[in-house]
Amino acid sequence: MSAVLLEVEHLSKSFGGVAALEGATFAVEEGSITALIGPNGAGKTTAFNVISGFLKPDAGIIRFAGRRIEGLRGAQVARAGLVRAFQTPRVLTRMSVLDNMMLAGKDQPGERLSLTWLTPGRVAAREVEVHRRAIDLLELLRLLPLAEAYAGTLSGGQRKLLELGRALMVEPRMILLDEPMAGVAPALAEQLLGHIRRLRAERGVTFCVVEHDMDVVMSISDRVIVMDEGRVIAADVPDAIQSNERVIEAYLGRLAAASEPAIADRGSAP
Amino acid sequence: MDFLNPAFWTFVAIIAGIYAIFSLGLYVQFSLAGLPNFGHVAFMAVAAYTMAILVVRYTVPMPLAAGAGLLGAVVLALVLGIPTLRLRADYLAIATVAGGEIIRYLAMNLPDLTGGPIGSIALLGPGQIALYNGDWLAFLDRIAANLSGLLGARLSRDAAAALLVWGLAGVLVLVLWRCERSPWGRVLKGIREDEAAVTAVGKNVFAFKLQALILGAVLAGVAGLLLAWQIGVFSPEDYQPTLTFYAYLIVILGGMNRLLAIPVGAVAFSLLYSGTRLLNFFPLSLIDSGSRAFLRLFLVGFLLVLLMAVRPEGMLGNRRELLLEK
Repeated sequence: MSAVLLEVEHLSKSFGGVAALEGATFAVEEGSITALIGPNGAGKTTAFNVISGFLKPDAGIIRFAGRRIEGLRGAQVARAGLVRAFQTPRVLTRMSVLDNMMLAGKDQPGERLSLTWLTPGRVAAREVEVHRRAIDLLELLRLLPLAEAYAGTLSGGQRKLLELGRALMVEPRMILLDEPMAGVAPALAEQLLGHIRRLRAERGVTFCVVEHDMDVVMSISDRVIVMDEGRVIAADVPDAIQSNERVIEAYLGRLAAASEPAIADRGSAP
Repeated sequence: MDFLNPAFWTFVAIIAGIYAIFSLGLYVQFSLAGLPNFGHVAFMAVAAYTMAILVVRYTVPMPLAAGAGLLGAVVLALVLGIPTLRLRADYLAIATVAGGEIIRYLAMNLPDLTGGPIGSIALLGPGQIALYNGDWLAFLDRIAANLSGLLGARLSRDAAAALLVWGLAGVLVLVLWRCERSPWGRVLKGIREDEAAVTAVGKNVFAFKLQALILGAVLAGVAGLLLAWQIGVFSPEDYQPTLTFYAYLIVILGGMNRLLAIPVGAVAFSLLYSGTRLLNFFPLSLIDSGSRAFLRLFLVGFLLVLLMAVRPEGMLGNRRELLLEK
């Protein structure tokens, strides 16, 4: 068993009177592909938003690579090596695909206006490295022919690929993907799955994936975390999850739960 | 007014150059970083007032007073930006609209400090005429004299000012050209497109937005100083919100998101705005001058609407880019 990379303890977050997270606790192992599933409203996306620093938790602890990150802002979490993608891909539409990638390059001194003028050599040197990395990733993701196109001209699936590429530009240890397969054409979805497997195998990137398609979840993940009503109700290997009673109950709704007493009543009737 | 009077066109050129610098500030904020600043004129006003008050009241040397004026614009940018730039763009828009008006009303209602509604000429109180641009005029005269010697032709003071203003505008365009193409400019454009996406890749969006707001404020401050020096007097009425919208006109007229469109837009706007002053020939001369002034504004508006209908991307803009959804 490998080390835990992300550890979430008793995470809570309410919006007004509605509790989206109520003490969620789970862990993601380094180098794993972990699926986060659960019915609508279970708190999956809120969990992503809180972990990635886009929302402040009301309570709870988040540890990433041994470091407490629950107080960090979104940009700081990303710089710590934990990068998120969005449910609806957010590409920078009026910029080229290549610029979308290069913008995300890390440690570029030229992002400080003063250094652009004072140390143009260092900026240019880093720019060459960032450019090379962007081209490599675009090639890997088969987006290279579109490098000069405006990102706004890409299809939904291509945007998901671009967002994955942009996340990889940050050289993250872990990527949070929120429904990567939603709205993606089947051929492209297959490609996207392949990329996730390959990135884990070749670059050791850890993935935590929110996904609704159970075939995808079962085929891709090493471990599945199931959430319901803001809590984690199960965490296990995919096969065990499929036969977990609490999970079935959560998914099939209160239907099964509600019908049980009815059966019992009938059984005890004279 | 004579259509061929060179003094008139020199004046138009100076004003166009100042508008270009003013609009470059808005370009950094609005076109690059996507910051909706609707109180751009306030930076101009703060710089001009700070400079004039220091020169007139405290006899501070002109360059130092100018520096303080720009610092004033920076302070205003911080005051408007720090509370609002972490929030949605709407809040900055509201804060800048209000900020612009507050500055103007302050200037109007603090007569002991600003000369009140009478303006800069009353900076020393009633009964005394206050002038703050003597050093500037002397500076222009020296430049005019030097250039005259160089060119072998006599150069007027205004011609020297026009050259100076456009020279500065040219340098600023080159500087911003480089900034826009730097990694810094790339991040700003990303923020304009989608700041959550830029946050998600580890960039401190707030810091970038604040830098853009400050840089734009400094450019507006420079324009404010030049305008004040060149006109020689100013009052709160000279800093009406319309000036901010002239800058938007220039940015949009020239072409959104195109740096070179700013000087082009400034010239086009000035020609449209000042050039229509000369519509005093037959049959328009049958109408009295007061009505002609209104007719002129109507014509300016009509031409702008026409241009936007025919070329929504502006003179140098890119229509394909315009059609992409954010």
